[in-house]
This record gives sequence, C-alpha cells and structure tokens, in this order.
Amino acid sequence: MSSVAGLQRITPVPTSADFIDVVLNATMRKTPTVIHKNFKISRIRNFYMRKVKFTQDTFDEKLGKIISEFPVLDNLHPFLSSLLNVLYDKNHYKLALGQINTARHLIAQVAKDYCRLLKFGDSLYRCKQLKKAALGRMATIMRRQKDPLAYLEQVRQHISRLPAIDPNTRTLLICGYPNVGKSSFVNKITRADVDVQPYAFTTKSLFVGHMDYKYLRWQVIDTPGVLDHPLEEMNTIEMQSITALAHLRSAVMYFMDLSEQCGYTIEAQCKLFHSIKPLFLNKPTLLVINKIDIVRLSDLSLENRAFVDTILADKSVTVVEASTYSEEGVMNVRNVACDALLAHRVEQKLKGSRIELVANKIHVAVPQKRDDVERKPFIPEAVKDRVKYDKNDPNRRKLQKDEEQEMELSGMGIYSADLKRDYMLADDSWKYDKIPEFLNGKNIADFIDPDIAEKLEALEREEEALEAQGFYESDESEMLDSDEEEFRDAADQIRKKKASIKKISQEKNHLQNRPIIPRKKRHVTLSEFTTGMRKSGHDPLVLEKRAARLVEKKKEAWEAAEAREAASGAGEMDVDMGGDDMDMASSAGASSSKKVKKGMAIDRAPRSNRQLAGLASYAQSDKANELRDFAQRLPNRLAKASESDRHIPITRPKWMLAGKRKGGKTDRR
Amino acid sequence: MEEHRKRHGRRMDYEERKRKRTAREAHKASADAQKIFGHKAKLHHAKRHAEKVQMKKTLKAHDERNVKQKDDGAVQEGALPAYLLDREGQKDAKALSTAVKDRRKDRAAKYSVPLPKVRGIAEEEMFKVIKTGKHKGKSWKRMVNKATFVGEGFTRKPVKLERFIRPMGLRMTKANVTHPELKTTFQLPILGVKKNPQSPLYTSLGVLTKGTILEVNVSELGMVTTGGKVVWSKYAQITNNPENDGCINSVLLV
Repeated sequence: MSSVAGLQRITPVPTSADFIDVVLNATMRKTPTVIHKNFKISRIRNFYMRKVKFTQDTFDEKLGKIISEFPVLDNLHPFLSSLLNVLYDKNHYKLALGQINTARHLIAQVAKDYCRLLKFGDSLYRCKQLKKAALGRMATIMRRQKDPLAYLEQVRQHISRLPAIDPNTRTLLICGYPNVGKSSFVNKITRADVDVQPYAFTTKSLFVGHMDYKYLRWQVIDTPGVLDHPLEEMNTIEMQSITALAHLRSAVMYFMDLSEQCGYTIEAQCKLFHSIKPLFLNKPTLLVINKIDIVRLSDLSLENRAFVDTILADKSVTVVEASTYSEEGVMNVRNVACDALLAHRVEQKLKGSRIELVANKIHVAVPQKRDDVERKPFIPEAVKDRVKYDKNDPNRRKLQKDEEQEMELSGMGIYSADLKRDYMLADDSWKYDKIPEFLNGKNIADFIDPDIAEKLEALEREEEALEAQGFYESDESEMLDSDEEEFRDAADQIRKKKASIKKISQEKNHLQNRPIIPRKKRHVTLSEFTTGMRKSGHDPLVLEKRAARLVEKKKEAWEAAEAREAASGAGEMDVDMGGDDMDMASSAGASSSKKVKKGMAIDRAPRSNRQLAGLASYAQSDKANELRDFAQRLPNRLAKASESDRHIPITRPKWMLAGKRKGGKTDRR
Repeated sequence: MEEHRKRHGRRMDYEERKRKRTAREAHKASADAQKIFGHKAKLHHAKRHAEKVQMKKTLKAHDERNVKQKDDGAVQEGALPAYLLDREGQKDAKALSTAVKDRRKDRAAKYSVPLPKVRGIAEEEMFKVIKTGKHKGKSWKRMVNKATFVGEGFTRKPVKLERFIRPMGLRMTKANVTHPELKTTFQLPILGVKKNPQSPLYTSLGVLTKGTILEVNVSELGMVTTGGKVVWSKYAQITNNPENDGCINSVLLV
C-alpha cells in the first residue's frame, strides 16, 4: 500500500525482547565461537572484545535505522506535520525517538567501558565474565526501551495506513457538522468507499477519493464532522478536519443540512461556519446545501433564511444545492467547485513571482518586411473549394456513414466499410487485385523491390545486346589443350598427395597418447614392404627372392611334419575328440597339430574356454554370468578396482568436520 | 479489514475454526518444539522452562492456600460447646510458613555480616609482574590486576620508585549499594576502602575484591542519626567480583 506523500516506508520495529534476541543471535552467528584457555591471552582478549564491539555495532545500526527512518516532523509538509502531531502527539513522538537515541549512546558507552576492562583481562574466565556482563547490560538497556519501541511500532503501523493525501494537487475539501452528508457526497463523486451511517462521527479520520474532471486528476478529502467549540476543546477526530482545513490549499465545500435531520439547527450550522471561517481564507469557498430532496433554500422560513444570508453576505462564498439522496445537483456542485478551484489556482499562479519566468519567454516574432512581394499562405484549390460538411444540407457529401445508414434503413444487411475504395493507384482497375500475403511459405513483402520494373528492363536490354554480339554462340572446338591438361593433372596429384600426408600426420597425432607398437615389432607384409621400397626408388628384387626362398623352405618343413603325423598320431585323435563336448571351436585338428609342430612357436590360445568349465549347459553359464554381474554392481558403483580393493578414499571429509557447526548434525550438514 | 468485517461480517464458521485452531495449538507447539534445533531451540526451551516454573509456582500457591493444617493445639479461651470439643484447631498453612520464615530470618539477621568468609587470593592472581630496566630478571614492579579505588588527589610516583601500578582502566569511583531493609539500590560514590580482608597491603592499595568493606557517600539517601544529624558516609561490603563484572555491587552495613 502506498503511504502518504512525503512519508517513506518504515521497516517494522521489533519489540524489545525480539530486538535483544535478534541482536544476540546475530552476534553468535557472525562472530567466531571457538576459544580455548591455552590460547595466547591477547587472542582471548581480542576474541571477546570483538564480540562486545560487534553487539554494540549491531545495536547501533538497528537503532540508528529506526531513528533515521521515522520522519522528522519539522521537515515535513506543514499539513503532514500537524496531522501527525494531532494523531500521535508531537511531544510523545519526539520523546520516544529521543529515548531510543539515548539508549544507543548508553550502549556505545557500555561497549567502550567493557572493552577497556577487557584489555586487562588476564584469563579466559575473566574475559568471558566481562563479555557476559557487557552484553547483559546492553540487553538491560534495551529492555528498558520496551514502551518507546511498542509506541513506535504502533505509530509505524498507523502511518502506513494513512490515506495518500498529496498536499499540493487540486483538492476538494469537504467539511461541516456531523451527519450532514459529507461522506455520501464523496461516495457519489468518487470511487472511494467511505462508510456512511445514520449516526454522528461515522467518519473518524480523513478519507481520500479520486476523480477526473476536465481530464485532470482531483482528490476529494472527506473530513470528520466538526462541532462548534473552541479549538482547545476539540478532540483528535475534529482536529484532523481542522488540520486539513488549515494546511491544504484547496476548494472548501461547507456542507449544510437545512432539514435539520442531522440534529443540529441551521443557526448552529451557520455559527460553525463563522467560527471556522478564518480557515477558509484565500480559498475558494462553496456553501453546499445538501438534502434538497427534503428542504430547499427557497423553502426556508424568514428567520432561518436570515442566518444563511449572513454567510452569503460574504461575496466570495458561492451557494449551490444538491441532494446526495436523489443525486440532484451533485455533479453541478462538483463542477462548480472544480471550476472555482481551477480559476483560483491560475489566479494564484499569475500573482506569484514564478509566472515571470514563463511569461518572459513568450514572444511572438514579427519579421521585418524586406520587399513588397506579398507572401500569402498557400492553400490548395481542392481544399479551398471544399464545402464544409453540414449534416442538414441535402446536397452534402456522401460519407460511408450515410451509406451505412441507408443500408440499414433499407434492411439490406450489415454494412461493411470498403477500405480499398480510396486507394490511390496508377490504374484504378488494380484496386481490387488480390495479392497473397504469403507465397511458397515466404512473406512477399520481404521481396518487394520498388525499382524492380526498371531493373528488369535494364537486364533485358543487356541480354539483348549480348545476344546481338553473339556472346552465347557456343564454340565447338572447346577442348582442353594438352598443356593445360597436363598442368591440371599434376595439380590434382599434388593435392591428393598433400591430403594423404595430412591424413597420415593427423593419424600420427591422433595416436600420440596411445601405446604405439614400435616399428621394429610391427607386422609388415612382404608386399607392403616391397611396394614401399619401389615407391622410394629402391629395387627390392633381392629381398623378394630371399623371401620366396624362405617360404619354400617353410613349406617343405610343414609338409614333412604333416606326413610324419599322419604316420604316427592316429590313436591320439580319438581321445581328443571325446575330450570336450562344448569346446567345439578348438577342433581336434588344431589340438593334434600342436603336438606335431614342436620346433615352431607355441599357439597361445587356450585349449578350452575356461569360463565354461564345470558348467553343464549354456543356460547355466548365462545364469552364472548374470550372478557375477549382480555381484559386481556395488563394487562398480563405489569405483572399486577389484574385489580386493579395500581402499577408503577419505576418512575425515573436510566439509563435514571443519568449520563452524550451526545447526543440524555431523552427518547432514 | 475492520471496515470489511463491519460491512460483511465474519465467515460463517469463524468461531468453529477459531475454537479448533486454539485446540490444535498445543499440538502445533509440540511439533514445532521437536523440530527446531540450534540457537532457536535453546531460546525456545529457556522460555518454555521459565513458563513452566511460573505455572508450577502458581499451582503450588493455590494448593498451599487450600490445604488445611493442624493447629499447635492452643486451646481457645472461653467455654466451647460439647460438639466442638473434639475438633482440633486449624489454621492456614500459608500464614504459618511465612511466620516461621520471618522469625528465622530475623534471628539470622542479628549476627550476620553479609559475607563472613572470603576466598583467599594468591599474589600471582592479584599482581602481574612487570619486567623493566636493564636487569629484567629482577622484576620488582607489579601491576594490580583487580579493580582499585584511588583517591581523588592521587598522583603517581616517579616511574623508578613506583612499585605498584594501579591501571587507569581498572579504577572505580562508584559502587551500587543495596540497602538491605529498603531493598533498593543506589549508585553512590566511594569515599575510601575501609578494609580488604585479604591483607592490609591491599587495604592500603585500595584493592576492591569480594568482601572488601567500603566507605560510601550516603548523603543522597538523606539518612539521619538518632541525634538528628545527616549521615554522610556509611560502610558497605562488596558482594561481587568487580574485576569480572565491571561494576561494584555492595550491601550497606546498617
């Protein structure tokens, strides 16, 4: 909710107990807590001094905030300042703030004293006692501020709920005796929802409504009723009205109830007007006769009329009549009041010194005559000839509106305005051409080029010229001559070579971080070797011959071995064949051949698949695999290297053990 | 809100909801109390504890008032009708207990000094050794570690001659004096140290420790002797450890 103009939002003021809790809690949270008696004494002293200082700082900051946030009555607009005075009593208010300020100083003093004493602390115990005493005394000082704090909190709440009265805008101020219909008038002319009841002092404070008149914003202030007695005897409710009357520059509307239904005689009402008249000085004043649905001004008896005339004797007072019940004249009252105020404000502005600043700047320049040529304003003929549109003229221009009416009268249906009719195009027949907005999913507006016709024409002309020159006639003997062909071929080869070099280099780099088989150990086939040699310009003929010779030798040895085996090993074969029913891969042939090749390298492949050993069927092996995977799940999750990995990465995690423990437990921080 | 309530009234089940809420309040408080931890919990439990103590006290007071107790058997004077003879005299316990307490208090008061015994204070605690000069090993200088009272016109001796330093930070000039009968406390200026029970040296140094007898200026209180003269000064005994509390609390000896 917006507060009164000129008053800022005030942060809530805690109660004294809360205040102490907040500050001491902050001290505990924001200063170190770990201290031991075997620490250096200077460290212990500093530790406690810091606590004392911190507490004092926090108190100081919070109290300072209260003091600075509450408005200083003397700096406010006179209206606000006296309204606050009426509502909260200036003395009381100042006293409360003063007490808070004193408390702030006292706390500072306590902190100073105890820091001094702490400098002589010779043990942890003594320092701690001193700190405790210091904080205790600060808390005691705060506890004594219970009443001022409670009062200030109430004031804060009330201030935040004050109506947003702007003392400087156009204002209508409504005043009068209780029950004369002030609030109902406000309810009629604005959207304010002021409570209206048939008893006196229903309105107990100022209410604000807003309305528009002549495109300007107006505020209407509804004041509590005023009784006719001296200023000193007025209560808070009445004083609010008086304050508003005294300090706001506004149009004053004094409400009168001639029917005397409000319970006050006409005489009393007139007397009140005269007694508060000094407050209407320099303000447009209206006498609003309310409840004319019961009694009008003209119906009054002579003696009562005489009372009203005493008011009207003053020429500055305008009298208007209205009835909020029958709503007769309500708007008239409003308009009269607003006009009066506007006129008054302009008058005031003209009187003031600031008008000069603007008035000086208004200047109409009249240039000097340089020759006798007459320079008349230019008015196009069409405009000159145009006859002013007159609704009653039978020969008037026919507007679309007329057409609409005609159509409606003849019952032809609903008229739809033709927007294209007044298009100004080169050819009138284009008016109703349809242009799609989108074509092939593209907005054609994006492709519109205003010069497209010219450009096209230029292009066509160029084309024609080219054709005339014979540019497009194709040459039959357009072959690459041999020189060029050779050249291109070479370039192609170079490109390919480059690409392959690049690829090889990239692959080399690619493998940099991997184990690379040394060149010596790498398996190179004979053909690879020889082509490589040929490419680099060597003749591998000797090598090839030697290789062929060796192969021949090997082959011979192999055949010999085969023949030997065929002679001796027929009996073993049966045994091997029956050995492993599952091990089909390692065939009998392989196993038998191993034995034979004694002089050669031993085949490292296992004789049988060990994973399947001891299992009856493939189903069983699947089950075993499944179980193994399941068993490995936990170690995998914990990133164990193997079954035997018993490593515990961190026994005492820092985040759990170091630092201050505020809340919670060691296992869930 | 008030305006709205006035116009539209409260919702129909307002009373019912309110009743239920108050009924649930204890449960909610309990749930909260079990959930909070840390400093909030400490504060809460301290508050709750104080409330409980208060509650128990009031309950007890109520009980005491209601309990009837046997009289000490004093027979009332005058004749009693027969039907009243076997009745034992009764009396409110409350009145009895307060009477007993008062009597006991009076008797004790006659002979009591507020603090008849004090804790002995070692020299190491009382003084801090200060090493000065070329021959540091001598260390003849001492600084008083406790609060002291130093008279107004005191000027320190030259550095070479000053054996005991009484630091400015620990000098006290005022004491909170409680009048034991009036049960009120005044802050009064100290006039001097009458006696420090620890040692005559401390008395002469003006050291203020627990149990020290002070002379305080009571002219503010407006006490009058039997002769009609205004009492200017009176003795008081320190009841706290001034060096730990940063202030002097004492009881007036009347």
